[in-house]
Parts: sequence; C-alpha cells; structure tokens
Amino acid sequence: MKKLLIVTLLLFSSISLFAQDVLVEAESFDNPGGWLVDPQFVEQMGSPYLNAHGMGKPVKNASTKVNFNKSGSYHIWVRTMNWVPGEWEAPGKFQLKVNEAVLDTVLGTRSGWGWQYAGETKINKKNETHIELVDLTGFNGRCDAVYFSTNKTTPPSSPKKLAAWRQELAAEPNAPEELKTYDLVVVGGGLAGCAAAIAGAEQGLKVALIHDRPVLGGNASEEIRVHTEGIYGNFERILKKIDTKHYPNGSAESKLDQQKRDENVKSYDNIDLFLNWRAYDAISEENSVKYVDARQTFTGERKRFTATYFVDSTGDGWIGFWAGAEFSYGRESVDTYGEYWEEHGELWSPKEADNAVMGSSVLWGSKDTDSPQSFPEVPWAMPVSKDYAEVNGEWQWEFSRNDLSQIDDAEEIRDHMLRAIYGSFSNAKKDEVNKNRKLEWVSYLVGKRESRRLVGDHIFTFNDAKEGRKFPDGVVIEKRAVDVHYQTVLEDEKNPDFISEALFYRGPQYYIPYRSLYSKNISNLFMAGRNFSCSHAGLGGPRVMLTTGQMGAAVGYAASLCKKYEVMPREIYTGYLQEYLDLIEEQKYEKIPTSKK
Amino acid sequence: MRRLALGILLLLTHLCEAQFGSAVAFPNSSKKTVLDKSPEFFVLNWKQGTILNRSETPMEIIVDSVGAQKVNIFRDNSDAPVLYSSNIITPVCADGDCRLMHITLYWTLLGDYAGFDRSSEEPLTKHDHDEFLFSDYWKLHELLKDHNSILKRRAIDELVTKPKPSTIEGVDALSGATIKEVKESVVSGALYSCYVAWHLVHGDIKDQIKAFTVAQQTEQMWIRMLNSEHTNYQMYALENLTKNQYDTNFSRISTLFKSGIPLVRSYIIKNLADSFSKEPNKMQPFWDALPYIDINTRSLLLQHIDTASEATVTSISGQLSVLTKNQIRDFLSHLENETKISSEILKNLRAFADSSKEKNSYLVVQFLEDNS
Ligand SMILES: Cc1cc2nc3c(=O)[nH]c(=O)nc-3n(C[C@H](O)[C@H](O)[C@H](O)COP(=O)(O)OP(=O)(O)OC[C@H]3O[C@@H](n4cnc5c(N)ncnc54)[C@H](O)[C@@H]3O)c2cc1C
Repeated sequence: MKKLLIVTLLLFSSISLFAQDVLVEAESFDNPGGWLVDPQFVEQMGSPYLNAHGMGKPVKNASTKVNFNKSGSYHIWVRTMNWVPGEWEAPGKFQLKVNEAVLDTVLGTRSGWGWQYAGETKINKKNETHIELVDLTGFNGRCDAVYFSTNKTTPPSSPKKLAAWRQELAAEPNAPEELKTYDLVVVGGGLAGCAAAIAGAEQGLKVALIHDRPVLGGNASEEIRVHTEGIYGNFERILKKIDTKHYPNGSAESKLDQQKRDENVKSYDNIDLFLNWRAYDAISEENSVKYVDARQTFTGERKRFTATYFVDSTGDGWIGFWAGAEFSYGRESVDTYGEYWEEHGELWSPKEADNAVMGSSVLWGSKDTDSPQSFPEVPWAMPVSKDYAEVNGEWQWEFSRNDLSQIDDAEEIRDHMLRAIYGSFSNAKKDEVNKNRKLEWVSYLVGKRESRRLVGDHIFTFNDAKEGRKFPDGVVIEKRAVDVHYQTVLEDEKNPDFISEALFYRGPQYYIPYRSLYSKNISNLFMAGRNFSCSHAGLGGPRVMLTTGQMGAAVGYAASLCKKYEVMPREIYTGYLQEYLDLIEEQKYEKIPTSKK
Repeated sequence: MRRLALGILLLLTHLCEAQFGSAVAFPNSSKKTVLDKSPEFFVLNWKQGTILNRSETPMEIIVDSVGAQKVNIFRDNSDAPVLYSSNIITPVCADGDCRLMHITLYWTLLGDYAGFDRSSEEPLTKHDHDEFLFSDYWKLHELLKDHNSILKRRAIDELVTKPKPSTIEGVDALSGATIKEVKESVVSGALYSCYVAWHLVHGDIKDQIKAFTVAQQTEQMWIRMLNSEHTNYQMYALENLTKNQYDTNFSRISTLFKSGIPLVRSYIIKNLADSFSKEPNKMQPFWDALPYIDINTRSLLLQHIDTASEATVTSISGQLSVLTKNQIRDFLSHLENETKISSEILKNLRAFADSSKEKNSYLVVQFLEDNS
C-alpha cells in the first residue's frame, strides 16, 4: 500500500537531471499519533492532510518510516499553511524531525496552502529514515505532505500545477485500475445515504455505499453530533435503524446511536460499505453517469465504481456537479417562486437573487472539573470572537457570508468557527466562575446546512410547504415547522458574525414529490439529502435529517423498481407510479420469513 | 402556535377571573391625550419639542375578563400619524396566583413595537410580589424589541422545564426553571408577565395597525420614513418609493448606504443595480463608502466594478487590505480582463504584494507573476 504514496522517482528532465525525489503524503503516515486525517477540503487544496487538533494542547507526534534509493543531501519542503496569518504568532506551529534531529524551521507559518522550506539533511539509503511531525501548539497546525529532493527547486503551489506534479510523481494512470460494479452506487453516508442503501439492499439491489468518514451518519454522527429531527413519514422501520435520540446538539451521547447505525448498515450482506473512501470524480456520457471514482483517504488507493443507478447524497451535490447535472446555489429572488413572507421581508426572500445561504457550524462544548484548568492566550482568535464569551456551542453557532462559498471556502469557514470558539472560550475563562472549566470537545468537521441543490423535474419551494400541497407522487411527508436561518450581524453589526437566528413558519403537514429526487438532465442520477431539488426557502423545512432520510429511502425503493423494469428514474413517475407507491406502503412492515409463516 | 398561546392566555385569564373586580381606572400617564415627551422606554427617536395629539381608532385589543382596550393614534401638529398606543390592563396568572398588569404600549406606524410607559401607581411585579426594578423594565423593553423571540414559538408550558433539582442552577420555585434561552431574555421571576406583554405587542394587532397605516399612506409619509433612523421605516420606504422618488431622494439614499444596517444597504444596492451602468458618475458616493460598509454589501458593490471609472478602480487597488480573499480575487480577475493596467494600479499592487502584514498578499504575488 505504502508504495502508492511514498513515491520515489528519478526524474530525467532537463532541470532536475538525476535528481532524487521522495514525496510523503502526511495522511498515510504509519502512525498519525494525535494528528487527525482531515479530508474535508480535498477538492480545494488538493489532498487530505494531517491536522493537529489538540484544542490548545500539543498533540502526540505523527511518525512514519521511509526508504530512500539514493544516499545524499536532501532539501526538504513541507506543504502547509498558516491558517490565521496576522500580527501574532501563527496558531498552528510544528516542526519536522528527521531521524534524531529536529529541524530548526518552525512550520505552519506561510499564508495560503503551499510549500514551506524546512531545511536540508543527509540521508543514508541503508537505513530506514524516520520522520516525525512535532506539534508545538495544539491549535490546528496542518501538514499535507513532506517532499525531499536532492535538487533545490520548490514544488509548484498553484492547485492545477500541483495536481499535475503529484500525478507525475506518483505515475498514476488517469483512471483507477480497480473496477467495481453495482446496481446502485450511493455516495455520502449521512442519513439520506444510509437509508437509500438500506432500502435498495432490502429490495435485492447490489449496493455500494461510499462515505469519506470512518463512521456513518453525516451530521448525525458522533463526529458532528446533531440530533435527528423531523418525522419518519412512510419509512419508520428503516429510519429507526439509523436515527438518534433527542440529546442536546453536541452531546457525547451520540456515540450510542453511532454504534446502532453502523451495525445496522453493516448487517446487510448486499451493501458493500466503503468507509474512508471519498469520491473525487463522476464521469458521464450522454447525460448518464457511467462511473464514480473514489480514493481511500489514508492510503490514496483508488477504485472506479460503475452502476446502473447512482444516488448523490453528498450534501454538496458533488456527483451531480461532476456529472454535469443542473444545480443552483444561493437565494432566488422573491418573484422566482413567489416565496414572499411579509413578516420577514428581505430576510426571508430577497427582492433580487443573491449568494446568501444558511451557514455551517462547528459544534463544541466544555465541562466543569474539580481543579483549575488553564487555557492558552489566543490573540489570533480575538478579531473574530471579540468580547463574546461562552462555554458551550449550539446550533446558532453558524457562519455564512455572501463572498464565501459553503463548498469552495469551507476550510475558511471551519477556521473562522474555530477562531470564534477558541476566542469565546478564552474570554469565558477570564471569568473566575469558569476557573475549573475544561474545553472538552470541539469538532473539526464542519457541519453544513446548505450549498448546491441539484435540479429535478420538480423544484420544491416554500409555497409547497406552506400550502401543504399534495402531489400524486408525494413520497416524503413532514410536519416540522419550516425554518430558515440568517446571520444576526445583518441586522446589527455589533453582533458577532458567527451567530445566527431562525425564522420559523408553522404550517400544515407537507409533502415532497418523488420528482424532486432525481436529476432533470442526468438520467440515472437520484439525489437525497439537502442537495435535493428545492429552492433556498424550500430547503428550510426538509433539510432536517429524518426528512432527508425519508428521501433516501424513497430513492432506494425507486431504484429497485428501475432495475426491475430496466428504466430510468423519471419513468417510475410516468409509468410505474402506483406500483412504486404500493411498494412503499408494503415495506412499512417487517416481512415474516416464509419459514415462520 | 399563536392560536395555542392565545388559548392558554384565555384559559389562564378565565381561571382567575373570579378574583378580580371591575377594571381599575388607569392612572395619570395613560389618561394623556397629548404626548409632549418620549415614552419612557422607546425605540424611535424623539425630536425635542414634538407634540402629539391623541385620537381614536376603531381598533381594539380584547382582553378577556377585562374587556376591550382601545388602540389610539397619535398625530403631530400637521396631522400626520406618528404612533399608536393602548392603555392595557390585563390579568397575569401563574400557578393560580393572579394579578392585574397595567402598562401603556406603543407601536410604530408599521405595527412594530415602539415602546412602553410604566404605570407609576401600579408597577409591574415579579412572582413574590417584588416590584420591577428599573433594570427589569429595561429587560422587558429588550424582550419586546425582539420580534422573533423564542416566546413566539412556544406555549407558556413549554417554556418552563420541571428540572432535576441538582442539575439546574437557580430553580425558580414558583414556575420551575425557565429554559436557558428563555431565561436570558425574560425578567427573572416574571415569565408570565413577559409572555403576556410580548403576545399583546406582537399579536394580531400588529397587522391591523399596519393595515390602518397603509390605508392612509402618502408620499410624505414615505419620505419621513426614509429620513428616520428606524430601520423598518427605512426599509418600508425603500420598498415603496418609485424610481423617480429614488432619484429625488438620492442624497438621503446614498447616506443610508453608509449608515444603514447591512440589510438596508444591500437592499439599496440591489435596487440601484441599473444605475451603475447607466449613471456611473452619480454612483461615486457608493464607491466612496467601500471601506466603511459590511462585507456582504461590499461584495454586492464590487459586482459593478466593470462599470466603475478608471479613478475608482485605481482607488480600490490602493484599498486591498479592506477586501476579503474572494473580493481580491474578483478584483484581480477584473484587472485581468482589462486591456491595460495603469502604472499607478501596478504600483499599488506591488506595494500590497510586498507587505508582510497582509494575509492575502500571496494572491497579488501570484497575479503579478502571471501577468508580468
Ligand atoms: C449545527 C447544526 C444543527 C442542526 N440541527 C439539526 C437538528 O437538530 N436536527 C436535524 O435533523 N437537522 C439539523 N441540522 C441540519 C442537518 O444536519 C443537515 O441539513 C443534514 O445533515 C443534511 O443531510 P445530508 O445527508 O444531505 O448531509 P450530511 O449529513 O452532511 O451527510 C453527507 C455525508 O456525505 C459525505 N460526503 C460528502 N462528499 C463526499 C464524497 N465526495 N465522497 C464520500 N462522501 C462524501 C460527508 O462526509 C457527509 O458525512 C443541523 C445542522 C447543523 C450544521
């Protein structure tokens, strides 16, 4: 496995004639120590990386061993970034240890992702070379890769050139070599993805569930810790296998439901579960997805997944995006779908369309202990937290700004929240009553609410919810009030920019039609989860996880009928609707095995 | 939800009806037919020397067991409507303990909360009959200002939790511990009064008042609203003014663009989108405001960079520190599309690129590399 990642190459180019190069990807270190593999932003910065998420306490060294083919003197670069450049010391500092020597250069101090020169060292090919990352702060130092070269030429920084350089170094062919074939490939293992996989599998489909985390559930997982809300609709039996209890957001109790969810999904023989695999491309021909390519987040190993039908439940609509599906982002103008609500005017639906969306959150919490607990000064966090003081986070800790894309700028958004959290906690610690408070848990994963929404045959809007509009194909049912969030700083600039407020609309029970759950222009693509076909205000109600879970289950059943009749998703609506509705009705109850009848 | 809340209110009032005699006469300030100074707790600006005269409206608030409470309108000496008000007497009951609450409430012309006057003879009280302190009135005022309060979405019995005694601090013996978000927004020990007051202010009367105003609105009223410091007035005026009226009030609108809240600013800029390409010179005050406005509005403004004058573009190139990463990117891609970049702009870019204090200088470094 290792050989895929630690690439040793003799480059016979004119510049680096006979130069010896070794690239070590940090995420594939033998032992990450206290560092975490962070694959959230690969589309933007190029690769998963190691993140020293110690919440203010330096984490244990990450270490690995490398074999060199040639002895000599090597220049070393580390791909890293200072995540808060400014007039203070960088928050995430670390050093590199090569064999017994810690190199002097303090790393993590350059603006923007790129290569920082770490120094020069002698390497003897006869011995294994031992590399360690020595964290200095515990405040999210980041290391993407370590590069050794006998030639002193800095590797490229620009994302495009870097990708080509990496590919050349790894000598990777364009397509992954291993091909897996399924009836249904589901990408993204939030509640929607899990439910889709289960429903499909129960109907006999051979399913692959590709998910970039070690545990299932997306925002409901123990890693993000949001509790599931909404109703079960037609799919109680399935959703109870994967939902959560109603503990407070951020509660460590989410661990209990985690186990239940993972075990239940794993209990299906015909679901092949690919945990820690992140899809990175989807290739379509003639408006139909042919393959999804995915990469193991630690080892870099790649596989190509082919299937008759695909479900995009990535939240960000990645599969649709890569495959060329129509999508939207931001708020529609109030006239587009007539989503006017006088009480909240512009805050609810703007006169002109814009890029505003509900924001992303990072949940966190602290606890009281029996003894005094220290917390370091965090000057780099203060411009964000200002004098805000808090000891726990909740859903209102949310950040969005029109110049930031919840997808492309997700790392900046996560980092902004980390500054908000550390700064606010540091402020709270100055109060004597919090002397014994200890920062217990801060997620490093950004929990998202809204980004790309793929366009289907029907676009679900606020009015569909408000009027409780009935559809012949209304397969998802919800009663929960519609709520859309906005940043309170829009009303009062003295407010912190990371706190939001919800506007609730209490309406009747409403329905989401099946036609909002498959792509309008990519014929074999379903979507379930917050990236389903809806307007910005339309997402306000159905984005919660049981509702998105219902979408997943609905799609799984539709896929099974698609296979039965060898048709595409749209045709289930036009030709097999009654059978589809009957199938949903029938699945509500656990089947009695023939042996027990 | 609102109906549920009202139901509980009625139920509560019904339960304790027996304890009241007839409604007590309201003391002094409430009898006033002329307002010559600002209500004590007030959200609007009060100009010195203002005198308002009260007249009746057909609107009323029905308080069960006490009866109809009239809603009045206050007009200035040019007979223009300024404020609505009602002298309220209403029972407040908690766990069988009922009292009458006396308060004079005020609404803006659009039916939003404007303020209140307390009664000097019948002060508000908390659960153990302690009188409200000034700070309690102030907190009530803060609560009433929040039109989106959690009190709106919850029935009164959802607002109190029956806690396990050991886990929740400061258990309120009478009503159970109020849940955290509520606790922060209501007067301690006076949840029921706060709840009743909030629902009176933000109840159905709101829409009736607005409709009453709309029926008599005039251009003068909009202009006064535009010139007010009250955000909802500004927004309402901006929504109603015609293109011509925008032109005649352009100076105020460009001032508001700098001084208003972000929501007002972004509304203005979206409304004036056309003017940027049609009348670039006139839009100079907007460009001048660039460093002072919030990030969202600045992004909206920068969408019009293609129609900005050379001088404006040059000036922005010297203010890159105030722009976010993506705004700098947008600005640079605008420059990239230009046939020629002036030497002054280049000089500014170089200075920014060379600065060690600018976190986004790397973007300009890359740009200069690619475009030299
Ligand atoms: C702080 C917060 C509070 C909230 N409160 C509630 C609440 O109380 N109750 C409630 O029900 N909802 C709540 N929500 C909303 C809800 O959590 C989200 O809207 C919902 O999780 C969206 O579901 P999803 O399945 O579409 O996405 P997710 O839950 O985000 O799941 C998508 C998964 O796909 C994975 N993925 C993405 N791209 C790829 C890829 N390329 N390859 C492989 N895997 C990929 C991601 O890691 C992710 O785990 C809250 C959200 C937040 C952030």
